Amino acid sequence: MPSILSLKNISKTYGRIKALKEVSFDVPEGSVFGILGPNGSGKTTLLGIVMNVLLANRGSYSWFGNPPSEKQRKDIGTLLETPNFYHYLSARHNLEISAAIKNKPFEDIERVLKIVRLYERKDSKFQTFSLGMKQRLAIAACLLGNPSVLVFDEPTNGLDPSGIAEIRQLIIELARDGKTIIMASHLLAEVEKVCTHVAILQQGVLIKSGEVGSALSQEEWLEVGSNEMEKLKGVLKQLPGLKNIINSENHFQVYFNQPLPDSAWLNQHCFEAGIVLNFIRSGKKSLESAFIELTHNVSN
Amino acid sequence: MRDFFHTLRIEWLKLKYYRTFWILLSVIVVCIPAFNYVIYDFTDNSFPKINGKSLLGNPFSFPNVWITVPYNAGILVFMPAILIITLFTNEYSFRTHRQNIIDGWSRSRFIFIKLFEVFILTLFVTGIVVLTCLYFGFLTRKGEPVKAGWEQLRFMVYFFVEMLDYSLIAVIFAMGIRRAGLAMGIFFLYMIVEQFVVSIGRNKYKFAWVDYLPEEVSDRLIPQPFTRKIFSPNDIVIWEKHVSLYFSVTVLYILVFIFLISQRFRKTDL
Repeated sequence: MPSILSLKNISKTYGRIKALKEVSFDVPEGSVFGILGPNGSGKTTLLGIVMNVLLANRGSYSWFGNPPSEKQRKDIGTLLETPNFYHYLSARHNLEISAAIKNKPFEDIERVLKIVRLYERKDSKFQTFSLGMKQRLAIAACLLGNPSVLVFDEPTNGLDPSGIAEIRQLIIELARDGKTIIMASHLLAEVEKVCTHVAILQQGVLIKSGEVGSALSQEEWLEVGSNEMEKLKGVLKQLPGLKNIINSENHFQVYFNQPLPDSAWLNQHCFEAGIVLNFIRSGKKSLESAFIELTHNVSN
Repeated sequence: MRDFFHTLRIEWLKLKYYRTFWILLSVIVVCIPAFNYVIYDFTDNSFPKINGKSLLGNPFSFPNVWITVPYNAGILVFMPAILIITLFTNEYSFRTHRQNIIDGWSRSRFIFIKLFEVFILTLFVTGIVVLTCLYFGFLTRKGEPVKAGWEQLRFMVYFFVEMLDYSLIAVIFAMGIRRAGLAMGIFFLYMIVEQFVVSIGRNKYKFAWVDYLPEEVSDRLIPQPFTRKIFSPNDIVIWEKHVSLYFSVTVLYILVFIFLISQRFRKTDL
């Protein structure tokens, strides 16, 4: 899969503070690429560099396989940190400026305002908007000209729960349309729901990058219980690909070295061995636990 | 060229609906002739007249008016500076200087068009000064034939250069400080401090270099028009000897300021 964005050994320092250290990764075309990391890990700095508002001390990057240029940025919808608009202008006039810079037709403004549900407020001044409305206007600006690549830095900042759900749905729909979305976030639940790939940063260092499943291994297990626990343990020990069995209060947590066996099959298997299960459930480590485990291991 | 006009149009979109811009511009347009009228009224009525003529001569009639009006307008040069500081610091406080780059402008394009805006504003104010000169020139001719003294139009060039110099100093403060109120305060403070240094340096220590400080040297392009007839008629001869040097040094400052402003915007984090 060709790379939309390719980073090679990007380093950035602010005085003595090393914000980014030799960061390299590729963003595949059509992916929803999450840049994960706690506050201050260098996510926004990284996006600032690839959008040319910050200058890297070392390293290079390319968009669409070419050295960075102003023309490329016109075809990328970007929301970086906060919504940046002229406070004294209306939503429509602000988008006219964005559209004019991007060389996109003004006719598209109506469409994007409707997508983010700001059409009715198109003539209201930006300074009268709530934080959530400002954020939605910034997303509208990103969508001008229907770009194939979108860069979002904390896109759900300031939004209420329904606004967060709407933006999440919008991102999923944009991804379904084949767009590449690069998204920095510290909200793991947000990333878990929409991202296909991740890069994990901690204190400016890239810990891991790749597909969500491989970068953040989310271990799965089965929980089973019976009135005859000892007999059940004996049967479980015979299961193919068994990794570990952990005793819980009134059930076992069973880990495998391979994909989990089907629950119905296991139930049948135990029944044939003369054990009636009174409890069976599959479990999965949350992205949050996987992320904390990973970052904790690195910092130690 | 099409690209340039497209960029200029975007800059116009930023200003078209900005009420503060129009208010400040209107204040400038009104204040230059009004301030000159106040001085005209004062010089015409507050000094003794000999044979019906003012002791100060006729500073507001042709060709003297070409020096008098830009000299007075030079006192008000802080007004366009306020407007320029407002326009520049807006970009920083709204963080639109970053957004314009993110949306697809190069850093060079952004700073070029901003400096061009300063150039256009300076040209516009110079135009107001020219119209004010013509107004007072014709107002005071009192039936006499007009000797416009078009050769004195060079003072319009001097005024343009003086205002551009002040405006670029304002840009430097705006870019360095990024907050409108503070940048204006520091700009005014700098004006006062430079005048203080010039005053002390010239009168107490006889330092010649103080005449070539950034604002002072541009102020010297237009000599004080009112009292030289009474106190120092030779001053104009001395000024004429030095004016090309003042002009060259001011232009040099302008070029250095443009270079520094461009480099800062192009080579630092936004």
